[in-house]
Amino acid sequence: MRKLYSIGLIRGLLWQILGTALGIGILTGIRLIIGLPAWKAESAAVFGALLGSLFFVYGIGAVDDWIKVAAGNEVHEGDESAWGRMRYFGVSLDHKVIGIQYLVLSLVLMVVGGSFALIFRAELANTGLQFLTLMEYNTLMSLHGMVMIVGILVGVAAFMNYLVPMMLGARDMAFPRLNAFSFWLAVPASLILLSSMALGGFDTGWTGYPPLSARAPVGVQMFFLGVSLAGMGTILSSLNVIATAMRLRATGMTGFRLPIFVWGSLATSLISLTATQLIGLSFQMVMFQRLFGMGFFDPAKGGNPILFQHLFWFYSHPAVYVFVLPGLGIISELLPVFARKPLYGYKWVAISSFAIALIGFLVWGHHMFASGMAEYLRVPFMYSTLLVAVPTGVKFFSWLGTLWRGKIVFPVPMLFALAGIVVFLLGGLTGPPNATVATDLHLTDTYFITGHFHDTMFGGYVFPFFAAIYFWFPKMTGRRMNETLGKVHFWLMAPAFIVFSTIMMRTGLLGMRRRIADYDSTLNVTQDHVVMTVAGFLVALGILVFIINAFWSMRKGEVATGNIWNSRSPEWQVSSPMPIHNYDVPFEVVGEPYDYGLPGSVYVKFKEQE
Amino acid sequence: MEHSSKSSVLQLGLLVLGALAVLTAVEFAIALTVNIWQALAIIPLIKAGLVFYYYMHIYRLFEADKDVDRESYAYKLATNRLGLWLFLISDSFIFGGLMISRINLLGLTRPELLQVLGLAVTVVLLISSFFANRAEVSMAYGHRRQFILSLTVTLSLGILFLIGVVGVEWQLAPFGPETNLAGAVFYVMTGFHAFHVFTGVIFLAIVLRNGLRGLYSAEKHWAVEASVVYWHFIDVVWFFFYPALYLIGTLVQ
Repeated sequence: MRKLYSIGLIRGLLWQILGTALGIGILTGIRLIIGLPAWKAESAAVFGALLGSLFFVYGIGAVDDWIKVAAGNEVHEGDESAWGRMRYFGVSLDHKVIGIQYLVLSLVLMVVGGSFALIFRAELANTGLQFLTLMEYNTLMSLHGMVMIVGILVGVAAFMNYLVPMMLGARDMAFPRLNAFSFWLAVPASLILLSSMALGGFDTGWTGYPPLSARAPVGVQMFFLGVSLAGMGTILSSLNVIATAMRLRATGMTGFRLPIFVWGSLATSLISLTATQLIGLSFQMVMFQRLFGMGFFDPAKGGNPILFQHLFWFYSHPAVYVFVLPGLGIISELLPVFARKPLYGYKWVAISSFAIALIGFLVWGHHMFASGMAEYLRVPFMYSTLLVAVPTGVKFFSWLGTLWRGKIVFPVPMLFALAGIVVFLLGGLTGPPNATVATDLHLTDTYFITGHFHDTMFGGYVFPFFAAIYFWFPKMTGRRMNETLGKVHFWLMAPAFIVFSTIMMRTGLLGMRRRIADYDSTLNVTQDHVVMTVAGFLVALGILVFIINAFWSMRKGEVATGNIWNSRSPEWQVSSPMPIHNYDVPFEVVGEPYDYGLPGSVYVKFKEQE
Repeated sequence: MEHSSKSSVLQLGLLVLGALAVLTAVEFAIALTVNIWQALAIIPLIKAGLVFYYYMHIYRLFEADKDVDRESYAYKLATNRLGLWLFLISDSFIFGGLMISRINLLGLTRPELLQVLGLAVTVVLLISSFFANRAEVSMAYGHRRQFILSLTVTLSLGILFLIGVVGVEWQLAPFGPETNLAGAVFYVMTGFHAFHVFTGVIFLAIVLRNGLRGLYSAEKHWAVEASVVYWHFIDVVWFFFYPALYLIGTLVQ
C-alpha cells in the first residue's frame, strides 16, 4: 500500500478524489450556512472539480518546491538518475522526461478521442439511429473534438519540451519546476474534461456556443473547466519555451542559425501565450452565466451571443496554427536530412512561421461569416485570411526546392513527412473556398469544412508528429522502431486517410451537414458514409500497429545509439538515449544548420574537439 | 539606479505618485463635467506608461547581460525577469478581453456605483503602489527596516482595497450579478481584478514574512522585486478598469 502511494501519479489521483469530495462538501456547507438550498449539483460539481485539480497538483508534489521557497527554505534539484523507470510516473524536472510524459498523455488522449470518433462513425454508416441516442451522439461528437484538441496541444508541448532545449544546447528548460507544473495540470484537466460524460454529457459541439451551452446539461461545465485548466498549462509551458529560446542558446546560435523547429515553436508559443487567455475567458464567462445568472450572452438580459464567438475564435483560429507550426517545422527539419541537400530558403521559412502566427491574429472573423457578425467585417476578414496562404506557400516552395534533385531516401520518418506535405496541401487548397465569403455561405457547417479541417490537422500535426516519433524514438529509448511495422502503419493510414477526407468534402458539397447524428437517405451519401467509416477504421488499425510497434521496439528494437540518420543537429552528435543533463561538454555553433551535402561545412563544434 | 543616491530615487517615486494623483484627479474632473471618453481612455495610458517605466522598470529587460555565465545569479535573474514579464503580457490579454466585453456590452453607459467609494479605493491602490516601490528601493539599498515598514503599509492598503471593493462596494451596489448586464459586467471585472489583488496580497505576505526573517539582501531580492512588479501590474489594470466602470459614459437605467 505504501509502495503504491509512493508512485506520484497514484498519489495525485487519490488527492484529486479527496479534493473533489472536499470541494463538494465545503460548497454544500457554505450554501447551508448562508441559507440557500443546500444541494445544487452544478455548483458542487464545478467547485469540487476545481478543488480536485488543485489537490492533484499538490498531492503529486508539483508545487512542493515552491512551498519550500515560500516557507523560506533552500531548494535543490535532486539527483534523478537513481529513480529509473519511476521518473515517468511522478514529478520530474528533466525536460526529456516531461517531454515523454507529455507524449504519452497526448497519445492516450488521442486514442480516447479517436475511439469516440470510431463509435459515432459506425453510427453514421447508415441513415437513422442504430445504437446511439441523440444525446450520446452529440456528447461523443463534441468530446471527440475537444479531447483531440487537448491531445494535440499536449503533443505539441511534448515535442517542444523534448527538442527545444536539446537543439539549443541547453541543460534544461528555463524554468524546470514551472515546466513540471504545466504538465501535471494537464492530467487533472483531461480527467475533468472526460468526466463530462458522467455528468449528462453536452450537446454543443467543441465550440460550446451560447445560448445552447448556457442550457446544456452539467457536463458542459466540466468541459469548460477542463479546457480552461488545460489552457492554463499551455500558457505556462509556452512562456517557458519563449524564455528558454531567448536565454539559453548555445554560443554562436544567432537568430538565423536557430533550427526551424525552434522558430516554429517560438511562433506557436507566442500565440498560445497570449490568445489562450481569451478562450479561457469566454468559457469562464459562460460558466459564470450558468452559475450566477450573469447575462453576458443572454439576449433576454441584453447580452450578446456574438461576443462569445469573437472571444472564442480569437484564440481558436490561431490555435490551429499552434497545432501546425511545430509540425511544419518538423517537416522542414526532416526533409534536408533525407534529401541530403540544404534547406531551400532557410531565412524565408524561418520568417514565414512568424508571419503565419501574426496574420493568424487577424483572421478569426472568417468563422462567423454566417453567424450574424457585422456585415462590414466580412471583406477585411476574407482578405486577411487569404493572406495566410502567402507565408504558407513559402513553406511549400521551400520543401519542393529542398527535394528538387536531392538524393532522397525513404525510411519511415520521411514517408510520414512527405504524406504530411501532401495532406497539408489538400487542406491548404480547400481553405480559400472557406475563406471567401461567397463560397463560404454555401460551404459553412457542411462536411466540406470538416474535411478541410481534418486535412490540415493530419497534414500539419498527425503525420509530421508520427514522423517525429519515428525519427527521435532512438534518441528517447536507444532503440529504433521496426521499419516493416512502420511501413505497414504508413500504408494503412495514409491512403485511407486521404480517401476519408476527400469523400468527406464530397459529401459536404452534396449538402451533408456537419455535427448531425442522422441524414436524409435521398441525399445519396449513404455509400460515401460507408466508405468513410471503413477508411476511418483503417486509420485506427494503422495506429494500433504503431502502438504495438512502439511497445515492441522499446524493449526489443534494434539498438541504435549513434547518429543513425546522419543528421547535423547537435542532439545526434552525442549518444542515445540522451545523457541526463544533455551535453557533458558544451558546443559552439560555427555554421549554418541545414547545409547538408556541402563538403566541409560544420554546424556545431564541441569544445572537446578543439 | 546604482549610480544615483537612494534619496533621489525615493524622491522620483514620490514625484511619480504626484503625477499619477494629478492625472487621476483630472480624470475624475473630466468625468464629472464634460465626460469625453477619448480623454478618459488616454489618461490611463499615460498613467500606465509612467508606472511601467518608473515603478516596474521595464527597461531592465533590455539591459545587456554583464555576466555571461549561465549558472550565475545575475543571468538567472534576467531570465526570471523575462519570465515574469511574459506572464504579465499573457495576463493582460485576459483583462483586455474583459475590457472588450465591457465595451461591446455596455458601450457608453456605466453601472450605478458610489463615486466616492470608487475614488477612495483607487487612491488606496495608488498609494499602495508608491509604498511597494519604496519597499523595493529600500531593499535594493539594503535598508531592511524601511523595507519592512513600506511593505507592511503596501500590504495593509492592499487588504483595505479588497475590503473596499468586495466588502463594501459589492454589498452596497443596488444590483446583483443577475439583475442586469451592467451588474454582470461590474461583478466579473471587479471579481477578476480582486482575485489578482488577493494573490498579490498573498505574495506580499510571504515576502514580508521572509523579509522579517532576513532572507533578502541588497544583492539578492528577486522575490521582493517580483511581487512588487506584480503588484504594480495589478495597479495598472485598475487604472483602466476604474474609468471603464465608474467614469465613462452615462448611467445605465
